[in-house]
Amino acid sequence: MKSNINYLRFSFFHRFCHFLIIISFFGLVLTGVPLAFRSYDWARWLYALFGGYPTAGYIHRICALITFFSAFMHFVYLFYNISVKKKKGFFWGPNSLLIQPRDIFDIIADIKWFMGIGKKPDFDRWIYWEKFEYLSLMWGTLVMAVTGLILWFPVQFTKIIPVSVATIVDLPSIALIIHRYEAILAAGFIFTIHFFHTHLLPEKMPVDEAIFTGRITEEEFKHERLNQFKRLENQRQLDNYKVAPSSLFVSFLTRLFAVPILITGLIMVGLMFSALLVWAL
Amino acid sequence: MVYKPKRKLTVNVASGLKRLRLPAFLVTFTSAVFLLPVILFAGDNGPCYECHTKQDKLKVTEKAKVDPVTGEIKVASMLIDEAIYKASAHGGEDFFCIDCHQDLDGADLTEGHKSNLKPVDCITFCHDDPAEDYLQSSHVKLMKENNKDVPTCKDCHSGLSYHYTSLGEKSPRDVPKGVDPLHRKLTIEACGSCHQDHLESYRNNAHGQVTSLGHTTTDVPVCFDCHGKHKILNSSNPESKVGKERIIETCGNCHANANASFVKHVEHPQIKNVNYYKTLLAAIKNARNNPDNLKKVIKNPQTILCIVFVMYVGILAFTFSSFGLHSLLCWFAVVRDERKRKGHTDEEQH
Repeated sequence: MKSNINYLRFSFFHRFCHFLIIISFFGLVLTGVPLAFRSYDWARWLYALFGGYPTAGYIHRICALITFFSAFMHFVYLFYNISVKKKKGFFWGPNSLLIQPRDIFDIIADIKWFMGIGKKPDFDRWIYWEKFEYLSLMWGTLVMAVTGLILWFPVQFTKIIPVSVATIVDLPSIALIIHRYEAILAAGFIFTIHFFHTHLLPEKMPVDEAIFTGRITEEEFKHERLNQFKRLENQRQLDNYKVAPSSLFVSFLTRLFAVPILITGLIMVGLMFSALLVWAL
Repeated sequence: MVYKPKRKLTVNVASGLKRLRLPAFLVTFTSAVFLLPVILFAGDNGPCYECHTKQDKLKVTEKAKVDPVTGEIKVASMLIDEAIYKASAHGGEDFFCIDCHQDLDGADLTEGHKSNLKPVDCITFCHDDPAEDYLQSSHVKLMKENNKDVPTCKDCHSGLSYHYTSLGEKSPRDVPKGVDPLHRKLTIEACGSCHQDHLESYRNNAHGQVTSLGHTTTDVPVCFDCHGKHKILNSSNPESKVGKERIIETCGNCHANANASFVKHVEHPQIKNVNYYKTLLAAIKNARNNPDNLKKVIKNPQTILCIVFVMYVGILAFTFSSFGLHSLLCWFAVVRDERKRKGHTDEEQH
């Protein structure tokens, strides 16, 4: 049963960014991964499904531009809040997404819980693996953007390095290798670790609606982020986050959108893993 | 380059004259004079199709031929598929069977023509330029040095053909066009059947990964787009398409404004070649005895590619093993907690 008391966990801006990232990430993966797994029939089929060369490449570039746009929006948001609105807590404290000393203790407590020698640790607004996912998304986007642009404009990028350096450092080839394996890393990470840590946990199955509707129930809040709940209660700010629960229709729409995407991701990672097995055996 | 066959009989005659090939001229001239209705004449393939499209009309439907390169005995069909022939490089509107099978010119067909025709001469009247280029290539040079028979035009060009006659045999007359995607795809495999390492490294590159997915039209290069078709030369040769003298021009065919740094691109990355790693390790081992060799290896752009590749394999292995384990443990812990909670609520109810 859904509780009637709901709290807002993600603002509309964050939900919109996550939505943009989903769309662009899947576009990039579906048109890019076939190139990395080029010798398999499913890769040929998938590439042809997106129009083959060069159409799939155009889709890939359009999705890359969407990614650039959402990254740009994210940094504008950070800049606006930090420099203009002078908000605190982006770099330090429970609201920060950067690694804090507290996270080390959380990791140790979590491992104890896994072993069965402790109870589930109480987390604050961001759990350590969520911070890691955020930071690796930032780092991964930067790496993929730089190498992707080199591959997009190889002639222009090589023009800026002298010939004597170019004979040792082959920029487009390095960019291709990094782009390919960083992509496998990113796709594999999102489709396994991110999915199983947030959406496919037994208590959330099949999808954690919080990132789509922005809302979590009071039970979920206490169960997942007890520290934040207590902190807000003490600061008497809890009421500021109270919202009306999402309607059944919105909940249905969320699942209609998210479940096929989750399945697509799982199929992709399954195919990639099967390719690894074929290669290894 | 496009090789336009000098099609018309008159042109044949003219070029024959020009080369002072008087006998050839005389044969065509006399046959032209003594025209008879049942006699084969340039300008019509009809009489040939009359028999060569129907198996029951032929006295001999197939012949054995020895492949001069591999020594294999091949069965060549005497049947022609008209549609396939029309689609081939020789299937133009004003191009005819006897343009190649010239010894049938003026043959009397009432009893069928003589059985063993002369091998077709591709070079003399039509393809003299590519033949000359081919004889200068590194392949021919190596074969001559090793006392091997030099393959002739038909050995490669029919072997690459994907057109099969109704008996399933490839035929030289069905040479596909150079821009044909399937033909281009098959040339990659043909080159790769000897140059396996180069094929594999090509597949690891940006160009090769697109052709691997089955896209082989002229907007993505296959082997011969860079290395040349007939005059394939070692890159040390100044005339080579991939040598330092001509490489900017070669890359520039597709990449407008290709510059001197751009053409240093490694088209055959050795990241998955075990032998390259062995030479790397050997160079490091012998660093004291042979420091120059180590310097050479370090300055090779392949070395950085290999280091980046190994680094990423490490990152992938570490990330997925550690975080995979973390996810699994987390999953089990959640299930365990939930079971415990259910147990408690059950007890409370009792």
